[in-house]
Amino acid sequence: MDIAELQAYGYFTLTILLVVALYGYIYHLYSTKKDVDGVDYESYSDMALKDDIDDTPVSPKSDD
Amino acid sequence: MFHWLEKHPFFFAVGVFLVISFAGLIEILPSFAQASRPVIGTAPYSTLELAGRHVYIKNSCNACHSQLVRPFKSETDRYGHYSLSGEYAYDRPFLWGSKRTGPDLMRVGNYRTTDWHENHMKDPASVVPGSIMPAYRWMFTKKADIDTAFAEQLTVANYFSVPYNQPVPMKDGSTAVVKLGNSVAEANTIALEEAKVIAADMKDQDVKDAVARGEIPEIVALIAYLNSLK
Amino acid sequence: MENRPLEYDYTIAKMFMFTTIVLGIVGMLIGVILAFQLAFPGVNLILGEGLAEYTNFSRLRPLHTDAVIFGFTLSGVFATWYYVGQRVLKVSMAESKLLMVLGKAHFWLYLVVVASVVVSLLAGVTTSKEYAEFEWPIDIAVVVVWVIFGMSIFGLIGIRREKSLYISVWYYIATFLGIAMLYLFNNMEIPTMFATSAAGESGIGSWYHSVSMYSGTNDALVQWWYGHNAVAFGFTVPIVAMIYYFLPKESGQAIYSYKLSLLSFWGLMFVYLWAGGHHLLYSTVPDWMQTMGSIFSIILILPSWGSAINMLLTMKGEWQQVAASPLIKFMILASTFYMFSTLEGPIQAIKSVNAIAHFTDWIVGHVHDGVLGWVGFMIMASLYHMAPRVFKREIYSKSLMATQFWIQTLGVVLYFTSMWIAGITQGMMWRAHDEFGNLAYSFIDTVTVLHPYYAIRGVGGLLYLVGFLMFAYNIYKTMSAREVENHELQNASPMGA
Repeated sequence: MDIAELQAYGYFTLTILLVVALYGYIYHLYSTKKDVDGVDYESYSDMALKDDIDDTPVSPKSDD
Repeated sequence: MFHWLEKHPFFFAVGVFLVISFAGLIEILPSFAQASRPVIGTAPYSTLELAGRHVYIKNSCNACHSQLVRPFKSETDRYGHYSLSGEYAYDRPFLWGSKRTGPDLMRVGNYRTTDWHENHMKDPASVVPGSIMPAYRWMFTKKADIDTAFAEQLTVANYFSVPYNQPVPMKDGSTAVVKLGNSVAEANTIALEEAKVIAADMKDQDVKDAVARGEIPEIVALIAYLNSLK
Repeated sequence: MENRPLEYDYTIAKMFMFTTIVLGIVGMLIGVILAFQLAFPGVNLILGEGLAEYTNFSRLRPLHTDAVIFGFTLSGVFATWYYVGQRVLKVSMAESKLLMVLGKAHFWLYLVVVASVVVSLLAGVTTSKEYAEFEWPIDIAVVVVWVIFGMSIFGLIGIRREKSLYISVWYYIATFLGIAMLYLFNNMEIPTMFATSAAGESGIGSWYHSVSMYSGTNDALVQWWYGHNAVAFGFTVPIVAMIYYFLPKESGQAIYSYKLSLLSFWGLMFVYLWAGGHHLLYSTVPDWMQTMGSIFSIILILPSWGSAINMLLTMKGEWQQVAASPLIKFMILASTFYMFSTLEGPIQAIKSVNAIAHFTDWIVGHVHDGVLGWVGFMIMASLYHMAPRVFKREIYSKSLMATQFWIQTLGVVLYFTSMWIAGITQGMMWRAHDEFGNLAYSFIDTVTVLHPYYAIRGVGGLLYLVGFLMFAYNIYKTMSAREVENHELQNASPMGA
């Protein structure tokens, strides 16, 4: 197997992997709110809108 | 997993890095393994030509002139044979350019002479009426940096096995040897011999006098380089 | 001391705001000079025959591109990072002495690099690689500055109060990583001072000269992998970071779909790096890479438009704000130009279009509608939004801002329309044959025909520069404008008449 062939296989596998990951991500994004400990991603916008230093963080670091 | 990634900046950064380096890994690294081999007729640059190439780079000639003939009839009609990968084997850096404000120079040595370049660099519009290229008169007085060109030759001969002092096959079946000096003094002598040939075809008396004194103006080196582009 | 409430510390942000404006003026002024040199070659001798070497088109051209990319844009990126970073992570730089020291070191070293770049490029010390012209000593300094920037980013993230990272922070991290990787690989070079001749001499020639590790086609491949993606990670990624923060904040609207923003992020990261091959169509790089470059360039429309549409939809139901606030106008026009140039780019990457467009002024036009329309407008809008908050004063003049907006918009429109026509005209003339199969035009015919378009372009550029000077003046006067109360700084920025 020469290097060009390896290159082609490498390209193919990695592309498939990333496409699967990306679709998995879409599924995750749109299903997560129904989960038990799921998050509402849209609430993350508040990180910009409520960003004064004494505003309450959307998910405080000290939570875990 | 995704949610976890969003809260762990370090692993997030690793993820981003993997995704963005993917293209580079696949696209670029493998082709390095097949380093392009020089085609027949492509010889390494002589000391004077390399000094001229430095003048070309110093003045960003590549900002307006390409060195890449694309495989279209209109381009091969205008500039000559389309470019082959192996023709660039000794080009460090490559000088393809990205904009043709002026014409391509890949094979300018085939159809322009020393005399033409001399007049053109002094006053482009006098040779090509309507030209918007600026004049480069200071090249007629500034000295070319032969020492640095020599240092570059030594570097590429050492690290990249560029064949100096070895026979290189030419298109007509003969071989040519590009000389590399043993010392700075010898490199300067070799360059000066070449410069004398160029200066003999030039009209500017100051340039001729300078070469006779053993000095090499930038213009002489530049013309040597342009003449070598074939 | 104990009882003083904690506040965000904008010291470093202010410093970089200053360099954004100064280097913006420098870069754009040189650009205008270059534009007029192409229209009227006499401008090459603007400072007389004696200084011709330093005022010449070819010597100034790299200075223009680098001043705008690494001066204006990067300063803007740094300035906004030191502002946005603190706010979305809800942590003040005043809380860490180390971060303050790093920030200051970042700024001063950056200034040193800028100064040495200006001197070296004017002297003609360049590697010739576009947007990577610096020789090895400066490259090393650039790497140091960049590492400090990275330490600042991750240092601030390390002490954050907000656990999740806001989307803008994602984009800043990607900027940092992307540029680091690209810059390192493209600038692999060997200094020639280490060479030893057969006679045993060493340290021959100039000490700062170096030779590229890659040759010919490989060098071109790495360079355009870099060149294209330097645009990605310098002109796209960090500017998207800005708009994701400043537009929602200024308008008071939540991002239309936060999920879409996350998705676009990964899409952009994955696809963008592949598109570099489109700079090398019909060259000597392998065919399949050229095709990859074309295809991925077209796929790239999806994540780019994902972000742009998300921004426009954020204004849904709030369009009266666009009419009322010049600041929002800047941002909406910026995202419109973003959509526009991310559509234009893929079109140019189609092989048959590229055959005409490559090497012509159409490419120059494409770069400039992106940089003037998208990058320039967004950075100015960001600074306008920041100014009242870092100076605690209202923006000096709203009407000046509106005038500036229209002058610059006209400038951009003149610029890209003239370059479109120039590029396509020239591309068509180069390939025209007469009925006998001979070339119809000599090269100089295709140059002289461009004169009117070059002149129009020069005027367009000049208008943009005038607008930028109005921006600089407005920010300068803001420092002495009416002081504002804290509650005025919630969303829409306070502006004087």
